[in-house]
Amino acid sequence: MKRIASAVVLTTVAALAVVAAPAVSQPKVVKIGDLGSKVGVFEGYGKYQTMGIQMAVEELNAKGGVLGHRIEILSEDDETKPAPAVRKAEKLILQDDVKLLVGVVSSGATMAVMDVTKKHKTIHWNSVSCAEFMRTTKFHKYYFSNQPDSRMQANGLAKYIVDKMGKRVYIFYTDYAMGQSDGRQFKTALEKLGGEVVGVAGAPLDTKDFSPWFGAINQAAPEVLFLAFAGTDSLRLMTQLHSFGMTRKYKLAGIDCFLLQQDLPSIAEPMEGFVQLNHFSAYNPDKSMQAFNAKFRKRFGVDANIAAGAYDAVHFWAAAVEKATSFDPDRVAEAHEGMCREETHIGRQCIRKEDHQVVMDMHLYQVKGGKNIPIARIAGTDSIGEPMVGRDPVEGFSWEIKKKN
Amino acid sequence: MIFGLLGVMNFAHGELYMLGAYAGIAVIGVTHSFWVALIAAPLLVAALGAVTEVATLRPLYRREPLYGLILTFGLALVFREGARQIWGGDMRRVLPPVTGSTPLLGMTYPNYRLFLLGASSALLLLIWLFFTRTRAGVLVRAAVQDAEMLDGLGVNVPRLFTLTFAGSAALAALAGLLLAPVFTVYPQMGVEMILLAFIVVILGGMGSMGGSVVAALVIGTAQSLFSLWMNPQRVAIAIFAIMIVVLIVRPRGFFGREGVLE
Amino acid sequence: MSRVVTWRVLVAFVALAALPALPGIPTYYLLLAFDALLFGAIAMSLDLLMGYTGLVSFGHAAFYGLGAYATAILLERGVLSLWACLGGALVVVGVYAAIVGYFATARRGIYFALLTLIFAEVVYTFFRYTQTFGGSDGIQGLPDAHLWRGVPIDTPQRKYYLVLVYLAVAYAICRVVVTSHFGRVLVAIRENEDRARFLGYRVQRYKMAACMISALLTGLAGAIYPMRAAFATPDLMLWTESGEFIISVMIGGLGTLVGPILGGAFFTILRDKVSSFVDWYFIVIGVVLVLIVLFMPKGLLGIRRLHGFRQWRQGA
Repeated sequence: MKRIASAVVLTTVAALAVVAAPAVSQPKVVKIGDLGSKVGVFEGYGKYQTMGIQMAVEELNAKGGVLGHRIEILSEDDETKPAPAVRKAEKLILQDDVKLLVGVVSSGATMAVMDVTKKHKTIHWNSVSCAEFMRTTKFHKYYFSNQPDSRMQANGLAKYIVDKMGKRVYIFYTDYAMGQSDGRQFKTALEKLGGEVVGVAGAPLDTKDFSPWFGAINQAAPEVLFLAFAGTDSLRLMTQLHSFGMTRKYKLAGIDCFLLQQDLPSIAEPMEGFVQLNHFSAYNPDKSMQAFNAKFRKRFGVDANIAAGAYDAVHFWAAAVEKATSFDPDRVAEAHEGMCREETHIGRQCIRKEDHQVVMDMHLYQVKGGKNIPIARIAGTDSIGEPMVGRDPVEGFSWEIKKKN
Repeated sequence: MIFGLLGVMNFAHGELYMLGAYAGIAVIGVTHSFWVALIAAPLLVAALGAVTEVATLRPLYRREPLYGLILTFGLALVFREGARQIWGGDMRRVLPPVTGSTPLLGMTYPNYRLFLLGASSALLLLIWLFFTRTRAGVLVRAAVQDAEMLDGLGVNVPRLFTLTFAGSAALAALAGLLLAPVFTVYPQMGVEMILLAFIVVILGGMGSMGGSVVAALVIGTAQSLFSLWMNPQRVAIAIFAIMIVVLIVRPRGFFGREGVLE
Repeated sequence: MSRVVTWRVLVAFVALAALPALPGIPTYYLLLAFDALLFGAIAMSLDLLMGYTGLVSFGHAAFYGLGAYATAILLERGVLSLWACLGGALVVVGVYAAIVGYFATARRGIYFALLTLIFAEVVYTFFRYTQTFGGSDGIQGLPDAHLWRGVPIDTPQRKYYLVLVYLAVAYAICRVVVTSHFGRVLVAIRENEDRARFLGYRVQRYKMAACMISALLTGLAGAIYPMRAAFATPDLMLWTESGEFIISVMIGGLGTLVGPILGGAFFTILRDKVSSFVDWYFIVIGVVLVLIVLFMPKGLLGIRRLHGFRQWRQGA
């Protein structure tokens, strides 16, 4: 028992030592948290998010930081699961006292983290997740997003599909927060525009073999197959669809963040002709985007992608802090509202006051030879929809398929 | 699916399966041939398996088999993270060596999946022949039954075990590479597979090879039959339900014998 | 003091109870301490089964996760009473544990491990694929539980004391169990099951009882978790989680109770600290586990207790 008791004492002492350490902090440094997926289905997105943040911080620090504070980034891994995401968010906020938290990738985990940032009053930017709850029922004062959410994406995409691709659509989605939300909003938007949903199906996050669902899709005989998947799920799904000959049989369309530009060359053949919504492409001739991409390439040696959002998020936050002349979360949050910046990756962008959503133009791309080639641009004001803070975005929705006789 | 058949309850088996796929990608990178990789990758993984067996598992054979289970859980962690460090966590694709698709029973099946069907049947047959018709195969079966007796008969049992382990590692690697074009390759790929393998082994009856094959067939058939009239999400639950029923009715699985590995 | 509670353990608990009173202790460390103690408590419950009865469960994550879902479902529906949540968890976990225990304890050794694993996987699959309970996102955004009407368990201090009280109660129960006649029968079963049977003990009943106690304690730990984290997800029941419980027991030492608490706490803190600096910490943990199995099969603190360990493996 003696050994055990001394072990208890030792552990306690060690814990105390660790506790005492962070009390000594350097003056004039402000910390920001980068919480992203470094393991799991969305690993790639986390990696690029870190790069985007890094680039913004380097630029800001070169100009003397923010409010005279040098910015320091703390990166943590959320393992693409809510439990570690919450634990790490708490660590960043409570232990490291970060003034800004950027993250996370998976919508499920983002919503869990939103509870933490709300409770501990921390500015929270998200530039990847797109479930519709985040600017409606889950919304809180300190949360900002510059990722078009499902509703915006659906509004933009449904119109193009009905006009140019076909009216009979099958919706296949990932059965978790993001995919359900995308599928739902898309169905609503499509039916409003006179399209017909001939079938819906959901496959769990991280499904290995999608072929059990293929029979039902073929039976429904759609013209267009709408896919709400992301990350490694998309890669696997496209590989399998292609091997079953379904990529040539149907016209394919998918959500923002379906696949990163970096993944496209390796899967160029199955993806040929795929219509995808994306707010960034290295192959977009837009001047601001090209300038941003050149900067990104110079720094990291690869093309930029969806991570452009994380870069903008840090700049928005820094501008808001300067405007508020304080790191006080309430004042910084208020300074964000209605703010516009001229020099984002796509030029001028503004934050809408009501639901803290960045009003952003969206671009439709078609994949040709492994490259996202722009085919249409949808003004952000046309797709954003009315603010619905506090209202249930899925009220009255049903997955039921309306039969057209 | 051909693995986990050898009565070695090995948590790291899924990771050997994963390493087989990565080794295959490495070999394809050098030789540009899927078929060369199909031979080379299992050999590489078998070598790793043999080294691991000698270094970690051999001292444990005389102890409780549960230690083996816990130890291989640790090994699995090491292999998985090791692979992530070496190859990164990104998903890799392996192009199928057989392309095109064939219409069959109203559905279009990719030729590669049909090839897999043929290849796995052939492999099963080979394994069955090995265990029943060759001296080495009979020795392995004997060793699972009664290692001490075999030792008394002058057979080098530790070496036999090492070879068995290496052989099962090679099979896992082969499966990993064969399935890579379908499921793609990433460090966590072994985690789901190992559970499926355990289920097959338990259902079939521990220590019974034929049982494992039957169980694998039953699960596969049930899976595809159910997905005809059920949401595939429910199928996963239904499969487990069947399994529990089987275990309640026949606690030792389809062909399990009294007392093996208990 | 009796055999049940020694002075040293009491001192340790008083020290832990004083932790939040330390001036300037960051809130984050209280939350980390919460996780560490909870994990330690689960490892201790598992030790009752692994160390004393000789049954290795690879399915404890299911007890934990079911407890968490019981609380989450109740909190989500506005049932905020701590006692209702704990009661609900006890019922749910109890029913499930009775089923698993009935089938699993009929078997020995590796079969027990695999059966618990597969049953746990059924539960995991069910919650992951059932959208009523949130599918793979789980149930999120839960309100704080109340000790009784008007007294919410909302601050980190209150949450910390909740887990500390739970740990103390669980430890007391485990101590009573292992020092009682019942506990000695369990050890006898571990040492030689057949002999225990010949001596007239109904072995399966004893194993079943040990299984139930361990499962219920783990389920209670699970019930407490959403009160701190505000969510329950299927990941809590993944079999790798069960593996981490086993690792904690192995680090701490089989059959020592206190050892696994330290093992669990050590594992949690290690994971938290190391993962911020290096992303290959799982390699370290894996290597540590392999080395422990090879060279210190009784765990770091288990050396003193288990003289009869050699018989344990023979009995199985």
